[in-house]
Parts: sequence; C-alpha cells; structure tokens
Amino acid sequence: MKIDHSLPLEYSTDENRLKILGFWIFLGAEVMLFATLFASYFILSGGTGDGPSGAEIFEITPVLIETLVLLTSSFTIGLMVHAMRLGRQKAMMGFFIATIVLGAIFLGVEIYEFVHYVHVGAGLQTSAFSAILLTTLGTHGAHVTFGLFWGICILIQVKKYGLTPRTTNKSFIFSLYWHFLDVVWIFIFSFVYLKGMM
Amino acid sequence: MMKELFPMKQVMGFIFSLVLTAVALMVYFFDMSFAIGMTILLVTAFIQAGLQLVLFMHAGESEDKNAIYITIYYGVLIAIFTILGSLLTMVWTYQFQ
Repeated sequence: MKIDHSLPLEYSTDENRLKILGFWIFLGAEVMLFATLFASYFILSGGTGDGPSGAEIFEITPVLIETLVLLTSSFTIGLMVHAMRLGRQKAMMGFFIATIVLGAIFLGVEIYEFVHYVHVGAGLQTSAFSAILLTTLGTHGAHVTFGLFWGICILIQVKKYGLTPRTTNKSFIFSLYWHFLDVVWIFIFSFVYLKGMM
Repeated sequence: MMKELFPMKQVMGFIFSLVLTAVALMVYFFDMSFAIGMTILLVTAFIQAGLQLVLFMHAGESEDKNAIYITIYYGVLIAIFTILGSLLTMVWTYQFQ
C-alpha cells in the first residue's frame, strides 16, 4: 500500500481517494432520491381529504429543536474531521460522540413528532398529504437512524485501531454522509415546515 | 490547545448557518406574501446547502475536485428537472389551459 504523506490520512492511498469519490457519486444519487420525494410532496401536499393540513398539525418548537440540533451536529462532525487531521484522537472521538448524541436527540424529537401527528389524526393512511409527509420525513429519519449505527461502528474501530488510513477514511466518509443529511433537513425545514406554516 | 480544535472558518460557518436559519424563520413570524416568503426560503436554503458543501464537506480539496463537482451539479440538475417538471405538469397546469 502506497501512502502519500503529503495528504491528510483519509486521502493517503489511491483506494481511499477513490472511496471518497465513490461516496460523492452515491450522494449525487441520494440527491435525486430526495428530489423525487420533494416533487411528490409538492404535488400531493394539497390533497388533505378529510384529514388535517400541514398548517394545522405542524408545531414550530420541535421543528426548531430538530433544526438547531442537526445544525450543531453538522458543526461537530466538521470539527471531528479537523481534529482528525491534527492527529488528536481523543478530541476527534469527543466530537464524534457529540455528533452521535445530537443525532440521537434529533431522532427522539422526530419520534415524538410522529407520535404527535398520528395522535392528531394524520397517520400514514389518512390522506395523500399525510402519506407523503410521513414518507419524506421518514426517509430522512431512516437515514439518520442508519447513520447512528454506522457512526457507532466506526467509533469503535477508531477506539480499537487508532487513526489509520482506514479508520480516518471511514470517519471522513461518515462526515460527508452526515453533512448531506443536514442539507436535506435544511430543505425539509424550509419547504415542508416553514412553507407549510407561512 | 482548545483553540486549535475550533478553527475560525468552521465557527464562522456555523454562526452563519444559524443566522440563515433565523432569516428563514422570518417567514413564520412575519406576515408576507407567498412570493416574498418563497424567495427568502429559496435563497437561504441554497446558501445553506452551498455552505455545507464547500466549507464542511471539503468538496474542492482533492484532485478529484472536478469529478466531485460534476456529480453534484448533475444530481442537483436532475433534482431541479424532477421537481420543476413535476410542478409544471401537475400543479401549475391551469396556467396553460
């Protein structure tokens, strides 16, 4: 394995560099996946039938908490990459743990939100609007849930093997995934919630 | 020791993303027309996304820079075509009748 020491560890081998490129291509496909969900949401959001509309069920407080928590977690995962490049393993793991904790808080609030929606009569089968709302939010939430487990697995490897070309590469790719989820949330926050409550 | 863990660039980026969120929140707290509200949301959301991409995701730092940007542009282009095309045919149709 040829290691280029002029680059950060996560880029230090050709394989690592290509894995990062490959992940970007995957994220490009993810952009399109979420685009189809947003397109469906914009088409179906008026179809509330006998169920409630967005303006009737959205609550600003949980949405704001989710947004601030996810923005902060995106910041901490960015600091994680920075600490990793300084070779500060302890700090890097600290930021990594902070990100996962914030992700778990986000998920907790989102679960509360889903329970609330079902409680006020907007379940998956109530109307076209409630179906696409829960599908869009749920797809993002499922990504966060997967990210939590994935992140914990990488964290264990960092603890076990230290900062190697392999573990730093995995951590960096995880940071890309996490930032991407934050970007998707920004669009959900703007065009599902704020537009719905405008 | 602590300071080197919090680079200015990232802290500023974080503060800027909070400011953008606050600006977007104006559409909730103030009465405004749909057009103005949507304009604010579109502008803040796309700046936020760009901020994450360039500042936090280090999109432009490796030798694969071009391939990475082409992938993103392609994904975003398909996303915009999908969303605008769907709106055009299924939501805004009445304008063309």
